[in-house]
Amino acid sequence: MIRCNRWLRLWACATVLAATHAQADDGLSFWVRASDSGFVTPVVNAWNASHPTKVSLTIIPNDDFVTKFGTASAGGAAPDVIAIDLIYTPEFAHDGQLTDITDEAKKLPFYQSLSPSHMRLGTYQGKQYALPFSAESSMLLYNKTLFKRAGLNPDQPPKTWAELEADAKKITALGGGVKGFYFSGACGSCNIFTLTPYVWASGGDVLSADGKTATLKNPALEGTLAMYRRMWEAGEMPASAKTDSGMNFINAFETGKIGMVGSGAFSIGVLKKSHPEIDFGLAYLPGQNSGWASFAGGDVIAIPAGSQHKKDAMEFIKWCLGEQVQVDQFAKNGSIPVRIDLASNAYSKLDGRYLTAATAMSQGKTPYSVKFNQLINDPNGPWAAMIQEAVFGKGVDVAVSTAQDRFTQILNTP
Amino acid sequence: MDVLGDPATGGAGLAPQMRPKKPRKGLGRQGAGYWFVLPCLAFTAVFFLLPLAMTIGMSFYQWPLMGVPSFNGLRNYLDLMHDESFWGALWFTTKYTLFVTPAIFVVAFALALLVKRAVRFVGVFRTAFFLPVVIGLTTASLLWVWLFNDQVGIFSAILMQLGIVSEPVQWLGDTNSALASLIVMVVWKACGFTMVIMLVGMQAIPYDLYEAARIDGAGWWAQQRFITVPMMRRTFALALIMSVIGSYLAFEQFYVMTKGGPMNTTITVVHWIYRASFTYFKLGYGAAMSVVLLIVLLMLSVIQMILLRDDDE
Repeated sequence: MIRCNRWLRLWACATVLAATHAQADDGLSFWVRASDSGFVTPVVNAWNASHPTKVSLTIIPNDDFVTKFGTASAGGAAPDVIAIDLIYTPEFAHDGQLTDITDEAKKLPFYQSLSPSHMRLGTYQGKQYALPFSAESSMLLYNKTLFKRAGLNPDQPPKTWAELEADAKKITALGGGVKGFYFSGACGSCNIFTLTPYVWASGGDVLSADGKTATLKNPALEGTLAMYRRMWEAGEMPASAKTDSGMNFINAFETGKIGMVGSGAFSIGVLKKSHPEIDFGLAYLPGQNSGWASFAGGDVIAIPAGSQHKKDAMEFIKWCLGEQVQVDQFAKNGSIPVRIDLASNAYSKLDGRYLTAATAMSQGKTPYSVKFNQLINDPNGPWAAMIQEAVFGKGVDVAVSTAQDRFTQILNTP
Repeated sequence: MDVLGDPATGGAGLAPQMRPKKPRKGLGRQGAGYWFVLPCLAFTAVFFLLPLAMTIGMSFYQWPLMGVPSFNGLRNYLDLMHDESFWGALWFTTKYTLFVTPAIFVVAFALALLVKRAVRFVGVFRTAFFLPVVIGLTTASLLWVWLFNDQVGIFSAILMQLGIVSEPVQWLGDTNSALASLIVMVVWKACGFTMVIMLVGMQAIPYDLYEAARIDGAGWWAQQRFITVPMMRRTFALALIMSVIGSYLAFEQFYVMTKGGPMNTTITVVHWIYRASFTYFKLGYGAAMSVVLLIVLLMLSVIQMILLRDDDE
């Protein structure tokens, strides 16, 4: 009798497991990066509350997303929908891992209002493989309290490199562990986001428009790295900047002891929620003598080639891009809408800093390459190595020259 | 009665119960042993031999993670011969092994001596020393990266409180201090396991030997030097081989704590294999590196076994 009861319990468990598995098969599986988790969960909950087809959300750590999606795709186990960093889209489209949604995209009434950078990165060989999902833009985040203490005007952030260096020097002079500037020195992705705009605003670039040629040897990039090196050698950055692989990308500023740091629009929501005591401002990342630039980033949403629910997946994507979701879900939860026509909305009007971020995104740039991960985001790759060597090591010339060669080698490898 | 019978007839005159037994048909007890070993053999074949064969096969292909593989013969191995990054990583891993292995041995040996005797509460100490072993290496790495953090970590805070340093220490800020910091973490994590192996070896040494040595006037140090250490030769061999292999396969602690930095100076060979396979999506090249690493480990294991074998073997 006891043996019979044990087998009955096992059979019941197996039945429940099988039923659960069957239910999951009827819905959509949706993978997103951890950086989107703040606003995507309420979005998914809202969809599930109003639609019969349920979305099952899986949040993947940022650094692991490419590997996990790549191996899942190779193994035929990719999800139905993914929200992926837009810079990876050309690579996965090139490898045939994404579904062509050109026809569906062009039917959208707001097609022309979608973020230009997202649309460009979601295009490969003339076809649309992804649409915008979440928006980010890089800007200069600065501590207004430290500006005031250093005798600087908190409403006049630096507009040239010379002003930035001068402000960093004055803020560092306050002492007590206060430093004028910060950057994550061992983080490739952080620096393509926040360092490259200095280069663009000064007339340079890191890759050609088609992403096939490295263009690192230019005065703008060399000048930017030299500026960073001067600030490091002058002690205007904390020592931890050298080894920060991105863990302190926003944490350092949250200590209240950093004057300026390159950051993104996400910092608005993070600081308002977790550190309301910090009086912070947002400015554009300046060019050497004038102008500004921004990295238009964020995620795109796409349908993996192996998805068995492409029609439902497209319906979910269209719903996410609708006005109500963009405003009442994304904007309300501190994310910039990916539609230019919705940049000014009820929530952005409550805080002018969101409008600044939206303006930066609408005019921002994004590098295009099918080898972005190998070149830029790889923490051991040539971009990160160049920054380390230029700012903390042998110097700018050696670093840029080595990186140019390595970039070229990678780009020329099939 | 002649129990043994006539020797010339091979004992044919023996009583029936004393005649040599004829061998049974089939494998007998030996055959039963093969059946018992078969599940383990099957497990090894499926989860080791088959993947090994597949890896060796992949190493002769250009095998993108997402794409169609193509045969390219020895191309991967030829490229590997000129890959300075791989050989640099192998050299760094060797350097790490040379430092961490003696550190683990010395600490584990000392701890084993401490907990060898069955005194009161010795079980508590044995458990405390072994506890870090059961924590996952990734979890331990995440814990220690925050302990070493210059802003919130306790190590810098303690040193500053004691007045030993005036500002936070960048434990992971340069190659040598990063390597030393990781060695400290690994010793904390792994010495408990080696302690257990050594404890078993120590407990197998007959107590009579120590008693005889004491009677002859040998002190504590002489007893350890002339009895404990020589009698534990095989134990040391086992622990050494496991420690060296484990050190050469180091990955998680470096990936989590330093990400190979600063300036790519703390990249281990397994980290490089991971990078080739899952960042560059070159599975064939990663497989070739894995095969080379396997050959290196086999050679090291054979050398260790030869050097540490008993004199009568």
